[in-house]
Amino acid sequence: GEHADTCKVPILTSISPPVTKLCACDLLVAQCDANCCCDPDCSAEDFSLFTTCSIPIVTGDSRLCSQKAAVYSLDVEANPPERIFKVIDQVNPNLFCIHATNYKQALSFSTPEMPTSENFDELLQRFGSATFSAEPDSWNENTNVPTPSDANETYRYEYGVPIQTVDAFLRLPSPVVSSWCSDANPAGFLVNQATKCIRSVSVEKCGTIQAVSMLFYINSSILTVNISVQSIAFQSLNGTRTLLNGTEVLRLPVVLDELCINIVLGVSYHITYTDTGEITEAAAAFVLGAINKEALSIEQSFAISFTQVNTEPVALSGNPGYIVGLPLRAGFWSQGYPCLGETFLASTNKYSQLTILHSTSSQDCLAAQGARTPVLFGYNMISGCTLRITAAMKCQPLTQTLLDLLKGQSFPEYVASFGNSQAQDVLDWVPITHLHSSEQRIYSTSQSSCQIPVSLEIEVKWTKYGSLVNPQARIVNVTATITTTTLMQLPSGRERTIPVTSSVVFTDVSSPAEPGYKAWPTIHAKLPFDFFFPFV
Amino acid sequence: NRSCQLSSLPLQILLHVNGIYYIFYFLATLVMIVYKSQAFSYPDDFLAPDLALLFMMALLEVPRLYFGSKGNLTEEEAPLGLSLVLTLGSALLSVYFLVWQTYVLRADVILNALLLLTYGLESVLKVTAIAAFVS
Repeated sequence: GEHADTCKVPILTSISPPVTKLCACDLLVAQCDANCCCDPDCSAEDFSLFTTCSIPIVTGDSRLCSQKAAVYSLDVEANPPERIFKVIDQVNPNLFCIHATNYKQALSFSTPEMPTSENFDELLQRFGSATFSAEPDSWNENTNVPTPSDANETYRYEYGVPIQTVDAFLRLPSPVVSSWCSDANPAGFLVNQATKCIRSVSVEKCGTIQAVSMLFYINSSILTVNISVQSIAFQSLNGTRTLLNGTEVLRLPVVLDELCINIVLGVSYHITYTDTGEITEAAAAFVLGAINKEALSIEQSFAISFTQVNTEPVALSGNPGYIVGLPLRAGFWSQGYPCLGETFLASTNKYSQLTILHSTSSQDCLAAQGARTPVLFGYNMISGCTLRITAAMKCQPLTQTLLDLLKGQSFPEYVASFGNSQAQDVLDWVPITHLHSSEQRIYSTSQSSCQIPVSLEIEVKWTKYGSLVNPQARIVNVTATITTTTLMQLPSGRERTIPVTSSVVFTDVSSPAEPGYKAWPTIHAKLPFDFFFPFV
Repeated sequence: NRSCQLSSLPLQILLHVNGIYYIFYFLATLVMIVYKSQAFSYPDDFLAPDLALLFMMALLEVPRLYFGSKGNLTEEEAPLGLSLVLTLGSALLSVYFLVWQTYVLRADVILNALLLLTYGLESVLKVTAIAAFVS
């Protein structure tokens, strides 16, 4: 096996020996590290599972004559094995050990200055060249505690870093191994998560289980930002949800009529951040519910999402080219004030996507009204339903119904050319061309023939755009073709079933790539005009 | 008849030993300051006073031992008194190197403790000698 070596850390110039608080093997945040005897997150049960202590002793600077050392060891004889922690005074027998020092910064590393916009030029002048002096002027100052110059410096996050709260980290309960909720999952910055897990509850323990109470989720504030309650929705026992009006009152679980009400069924955190990585706002939307006496467990769902300040949370379908499988973005043209020009309002559905009819299991067009599915880039789709036509149906309402069915409530006029097209860039949006075609080849002479739309075919032409090695998908043309057929009059009492289909086809119309080469260099070799002097 | 010898023999022996010991002390402290400046972070602002005081102590030591020896041998109180005053100064410097130096190593503690012990013993003997000379 490997030899465990002593852990040497420079002693911080603080009051009491921090050797009891230092632990170099404590790498996991708020979780017990294996074989790490100095980890404060480990309990006695965890220690009984260890085999050795990876760090047996934590000392300060070993050059000191006498210092405190924290000794960790495992008593394997005991049953169960337990960790022994002792603080001893270690004496250095060396003749040249440091007995005392009158120089405060002697034994610790100096904290470098944090570059800000004010001192950047000065720091660049001092450290920007190939060499610089190792002893800055600031060593004479009495900086015995390494704190930043401004105490209100906000904490900047990087992607994936756990979000810190006052006591620990922002937790998003999630299922670990089994489906039961574990409260040890820290939420990472800019990592959108959505989890569902099962928590065991009972009406008797209504007020005592912390994890079903609103207080548990908004109690810890994210450093300088308090978690505000954005909305509270009540979910009744049969599943219907109603939104509450007042969100100031904290609703704690209480027992009412043999039901335990105000228990948390879902929390959705919305964190707003700036472009420098600071968190400015945090809001939580709750779903509260009730359980009856027979309930032994509930399913809780948690989600966290991040939005940058002053931006709308629009999901991009690619950056810049469309990514296969992401929905097409579409919108309308809305007239703004004449002096401001025309403004764009991309809001077809909630997510501003192009949608087609969604096939349902019942296959009845009229029963499944409203079910739409977004068009995903690169995926040719076809969907449909069957329509039962009776003699009593009139032409005009039927036509309108079928059009609504095929196109949906608000069929967009423009489709985004790139996956990240912004609403204000007018030229990045492609208009949808509408075509009509008729199924019947033979032109009916009857004037009162009714044409009903039975098929909507959307053809999306896209091209590869950009560099050869990383081509981006760009939509150049969108055509929506409605095919109509003649509705023949039925004798009364008879029915007819016609299929209604809608499809999306993606066609690659990219022209073959032509690599461009530089022109061959030409040799300009001209003789000077008096080369043949004196003969010329 | 033998005239009464008032010069103190123990004081003279001690002064002689002190001289030899001080040479060793000076060289050892100087070498240790050089070692400290290499092994630890020893900025110039802290190194300069330490070195200056060490050399000052050496400069103080020479007249101190000379006057002490002269006063003891010629049985005069004045040089012995001056030597006593200079001993006080040297003792103060020795205390500086024991307590207020930038880095006090264990070797520093031992050297300075021995030196202070010697000074203390010397002072007692000088006071006794002065008392003997005066009366």
